[in-house]
Amino acid sequence: MKLIKKTIPLAIVFVFGILTLLTYYVPHKHSVDFLETMNKWENIVTAFAFFLGLISLFYAHSTKISRKADGWGYSLFVFVGFLAIIIPAYISKGKNMNGAELTWMGWAFQYIYNPLSATMFAVLAFYIVSTAYKSFRIKSLQAFVLFVAAMFLILGNVPLGQIIWDKMLGWTGYNISQVVDWIMHVPAVAGKRGIMIGISIGAVVTALKIIFGIERQYLGKD
Amino acid sequence: MSHTVLIAGAWISAGLTIFLFSFLYKDNPFFKIAEHLYLGAGMGWWCQIYFGVLQEKVWTPLTHHEWLVLLPALLGLSLITQFIPKISWLSRYGFTFLMGYGSGLAIPAGLATDFINQIGGTIQPFANLAGMTAFTLFNSVLMAVGVICVLIYFFFSLEHKGAIKKVSNVGIYFLMIYFGAAFGNTVMARFSLLYGRFDSLYTFSGKQYLYATQVILIAMVTYFILHGFLTRNKADQDEEAA
Amino acid sequence: MLKDKLNAVLKIDRRWIFLALTVVLFGAIIHPLGLLSKNIARDTQNAYEFMDKIPAGSFILLDLDYDPSTAPELSPQAMAVARHAFRNNLRVGVVTYSAGATGLIEQLFAVVPGEFKKEYGKDYVILPYQPNAVAVMTQMASDLYGIYDKDKDGKDTRSMPVMKGIQNYKNISLVVCIAGTSITDIWVAYVGDKYNVPFIAGVTAISQPGYGPYLQKKQMRGLLGGMKGAAEYEHLIKTPGKGSSGIDALSLAHVMVAALIIVSNIAMVILKYL
Repeated sequence: MKLIKKTIPLAIVFVFGILTLLTYYVPHKHSVDFLETMNKWENIVTAFAFFLGLISLFYAHSTKISRKADGWGYSLFVFVGFLAIIIPAYISKGKNMNGAELTWMGWAFQYIYNPLSATMFAVLAFYIVSTAYKSFRIKSLQAFVLFVAAMFLILGNVPLGQIIWDKMLGWTGYNISQVVDWIMHVPAVAGKRGIMIGISIGAVVTALKIIFGIERQYLGKD
Repeated sequence: MSHTVLIAGAWISAGLTIFLFSFLYKDNPFFKIAEHLYLGAGMGWWCQIYFGVLQEKVWTPLTHHEWLVLLPALLGLSLITQFIPKISWLSRYGFTFLMGYGSGLAIPAGLATDFINQIGGTIQPFANLAGMTAFTLFNSVLMAVGVICVLIYFFFSLEHKGAIKKVSNVGIYFLMIYFGAAFGNTVMARFSLLYGRFDSLYTFSGKQYLYATQVILIAMVTYFILHGFLTRNKADQDEEAA
Repeated sequence: MLKDKLNAVLKIDRRWIFLALTVVLFGAIIHPLGLLSKNIARDTQNAYEFMDKIPAGSFILLDLDYDPSTAPELSPQAMAVARHAFRNNLRVGVVTYSAGATGLIEQLFAVVPGEFKKEYGKDYVILPYQPNAVAVMTQMASDLYGIYDKDKDGKDTRSMPVMKGIQNYKNISLVVCIAGTSITDIWVAYVGDKYNVPFIAGVTAISQPGYGPYLQKKQMRGLLGGMKGAAEYEHLIKTPGKGSSGIDALSLAHVMVAALIIVSNIAMVILKYL
């Protein structure tokens, strides 16, 4: 049992990991073909992974409805939203536009999915402002440096900020875009590059641990 | 699409947008409805995409007798056994494939692009010392110093005291400049999205859309006023009863 | 007395701030200030110049990977870049690896090519969505028809005039990727670095500062960042669009944030030291 429950899965990770890794360095036709096949396989497995998530979501909400749990009525809208996209997609055969004309699916995308998705993220704008007001406190020299960099960017990003800069600091002979360019190309690059190198080492080590079966938490218990 | 359908779309779009924004005032059923619709609609969108993928990459090849695609399909199906505790270990086959493939891809790309090339980018400017102006030399030195200090800050195998502490402290300042720049740009990004939504609401407030934005907004405000009024009345009654 | 007032100011109900932001931003949409960004960032300038030097008739690949959640920033960028390409008579192949982008791409290309009398199949082609970017990027190094033998509507691409002489990266003059996802990094890692294909990116303002290292190392030839990048590019191609009007509308809101941070910190200092 241990063989099929543990050994073979770990062998799969090792074999596919090593072979995929090698394709980057081996410019042979077989290596390219292998990677292309693996890419296709990954597409297929990922699609099933999506359906795993979908089933799990539907299961959670349908139990909520059948048990009439608190707020079960809202769960109905998960299915309404789902059908509101799937049915038009079926009718329009997956096409958004028919020439210059919206199809039903294009309509559902533009007027249902688009506003919902975009607004969800747009709401964050309000919180960033109130947080800036309530929590952005310059209590140390480090926070002050962060503040100065942020101010340059906030003002430099919009025309009005550029005008304010020119009025107040135009005598320096530099416009704010030059200052922002310098920040983005010199000190910010140093900061980001340090993080990048650090993360890449971490990612490579983790990937190696996975390939060699040292890291196996994702397998779950037993 | 007929004109009526487009106007209906505008009303739905303006309505859903305002429902989601209404959370900023306080939680309410309209927000919850829109939130659940979002979840469903998002899943619907992805579902039709992935359905297309399976059709193209599994179904069509099978009709051409390419049986090899059964292998990844089985690996994929194994994931679904997650729901059946007795055989849920089967799902490991699918997951290990994804993990192996992902790790194999991540290593060379991470090494080349984010590690070696970044070290190269830090050193490379010095190859052209003679052609450098004082300012570009200063920039290159500053960047190199910055990268080293930040790396030392992240290097936890050394105890941070004495000279190391000083150097890693300098690293923090470079990180702060990066975070400051990131914050400044995040503000712009978030505002841009909000601008996008407000711009559509403004469009839908026009006569050709039968003033969708205004009507829904007024309805929403009325709801909050009535709701506030009624719940207050109810609270008063409860107090009296107690 | 003053301290009580300041405390009250600092502890103001956040919903007042929400309302202020709404008024400032909506007000600017109804009554534009009419300000234009006159300073062009170096990275935008570089992107424009690189694109401008590509000879007419060359083929560029335009990867559009933004969905509704990032479209307000990235759609104006895509529009400006597409206009520039069509104006310079470049052939354009459009690809995407984001499921949410397909609808937006079709909307964009229902408008822009017509402005330049460009024909589908002859001057541009929209290739179908593919879920795995790495797969496609690797494939395109040898033979792009291995994946893109059909366009988004299932028509044969090999026979299209727009694809004439195009086989792999060697025939592609430039890749422009406008994305709200990490696809940009994948292009750099798997194509730019590996096959030496010139690469320009358009990204959200949030991720823009993170690409400094790639720009410095010339792993990217240029970069458009957020709505500002779009406005700058529109300025360079002399066709104002949503980027220019957007960045104008954002002006007051930006100044408001800056003022809020400064005011709250001054209030804090007064409370602490007075």
